[in-house]
Amino acid sequence: MASSGGELGSLFDHHVQRAVCDTRAKYREGRRPRAVKVYTINLESQYLLIQGVPAVGVMKELVERFALYGAIEQYNALDEYPAEDFTEVYLIKFMNLQSARTAKRKMDEQSFFGGLLHVCYAPEFETVEETRKKLQVRKAYVVKTTENKDHYVTKKKLVTEHKDTEDFRQDFHSEMSGFCKAALNTSAGNSNPYLPYSCELPLCYFSSKCMCSSRGHVDRASNSSKDGRNHHKTMGHYNHNDSLQKTQINTFKNSVAYPGAQKAITSSEAVDRFMPRTTQLQERKRRREDDRKLGTFLETNSGSNAVMIGPLLPDMSKVDMHDDSLNTTANLIRNKLKEVISSVPKRPEDKPEDVHTSHPLKQRRRI
Amino acid sequence: MAQKPKVDPHVGRLGYLQALVTEFQETQSQDAKEQVLANLANFAYDPSNYEYLRQLQVLDLFLDSLSEENEALVEFAIGGLCNLCPDRANKEHILQAGGVPLIINCLSSPNEETVLSAITTLMHLSPSGRSFSPELTAAPVVQCMLRFSLSASARLRNLAQIFLEDFCSPRQVAEARSRQAHSALGIPLPRSMAPRQR
Repeated sequence: MASSGGELGSLFDHHVQRAVCDTRAKYREGRRPRAVKVYTINLESQYLLIQGVPAVGVMKELVERFALYGAIEQYNALDEYPAEDFTEVYLIKFMNLQSARTAKRKMDEQSFFGGLLHVCYAPEFETVEETRKKLQVRKAYVVKTTENKDHYVTKKKLVTEHKDTEDFRQDFHSEMSGFCKAALNTSAGNSNPYLPYSCELPLCYFSSKCMCSSRGHVDRASNSSKDGRNHHKTMGHYNHNDSLQKTQINTFKNSVAYPGAQKAITSSEAVDRFMPRTTQLQERKRRREDDRKLGTFLETNSGSNAVMIGPLLPDMSKVDMHDDSLNTTANLIRNKLKEVISSVPKRPEDKPEDVHTSHPLKQRRRI
Repeated sequence: MAQKPKVDPHVGRLGYLQALVTEFQETQSQDAKEQVLANLANFAYDPSNYEYLRQLQVLDLFLDSLSEENEALVEFAIGGLCNLCPDRANKEHILQAGGVPLIINCLSSPNEETVLSAITTLMHLSPSGRSFSPELTAAPVVQCMLRFSLSASARLRNLAQIFLEDFCSPRQVAEARSRQAHSALGIPLPRSMAPRQR
């Protein structure tokens, strides 16, 4: 993928495009294939070298394209720089380093008038003064950023701790009637701390528990959130508490962090308690069937609140919890509810089937 | 270790960095070590990661890697240090961990990037204000910089010049200059013109 041959590029190693790394472990593969390279402030520069520009007299267009990313101080073609046949090499100097960084990131490997551009930094064109200024700006930026963070951190620490406990309680109040939803729905993020709570309930008592007083729920939820926190402190490396408080995210997102450690423990608990292996496969089959029924079930059941035992189930569309054991637990709950509900009225289930079968019957009659 | 992709950035960041450190310590593959070290060194560019990196002792990991035989590992490690040393807390840590001699050793590397990163790191480790650190401006170091300031490589010349002008006293420079005239030994210039082996 190197735009210029090895021997030509040897003048400046940092100009040569290195081969993309294809042996990366999956968990650390990025979105785009990249070479193995470290960028330091020495390598970065307001000067950009652009190779691979087709020699069709497009300097003006090239500069215009790059000017989108920031003001350009000067530009010129480098005739003496080794280039492939029918390509030219240009040097563009940006007013500031940040524009150059952005331009490089966006324009590297982009197609331009039929050629593939290779954009790299060219720090060797800097004067002493420019290099000096570059280093000073970088140092000032780092010092300023870390100073700001420290200041912000000490302020936020007190606020976030207080807010956490409040939010858990509030969310629980609002989702009381839809408690089942909370257990199934991960996208809200808050539901995961509820997981240990739901795991503790034996499944057959689930629907009756939901009828219990709200106070019981709140107390146990706050307990579980506390348990979650204690669990965290024993985790060692994963000091989520510290890192969470230090990062500038709101408390809503805080709760998402907890599953990181909790899931490892609670999901296995869930498996041990409710899912003997033989049942897992069965449940997955049932899940597929239920998906079909589920759509029709919701339509026919819109007005039959009175029939339902337990809390009203809002939108029960398929929610993927990104974890097999959690999904099976959720499905078990879902299925159990359906059993309980569907045991009374058999008609809603018959109707969709009738609808499906009615068409062929009609057709036959017509024929 | 196929984790969930694209978790909320700061939430998953510590876990990801931890995974990198673990892989670096456990893997036998040189390629994987290089990739992971480069990844960590690039993370060291962003100040928002410094808290995590200190927690995971990545600074010590970088310092240890300076003694590796593999040139690429040294280059990436010193690059990482160069990226994160402007930060005050990181600077303190490196100074207390006795990192300066290790970094000075990097000045004699045949790899140009390594040398450049080493010079910049030394600059950032220098005490702020008008004072000069005796360790950082020891005679061999100043002599080395003098030689670099005559190098054919513009980048090396520039950095050496800045070091001599901003981080050494004129007396130290003059002393080193006179000493150099007499001594035959010196720190060799990096192999900046040679084609790199892949």
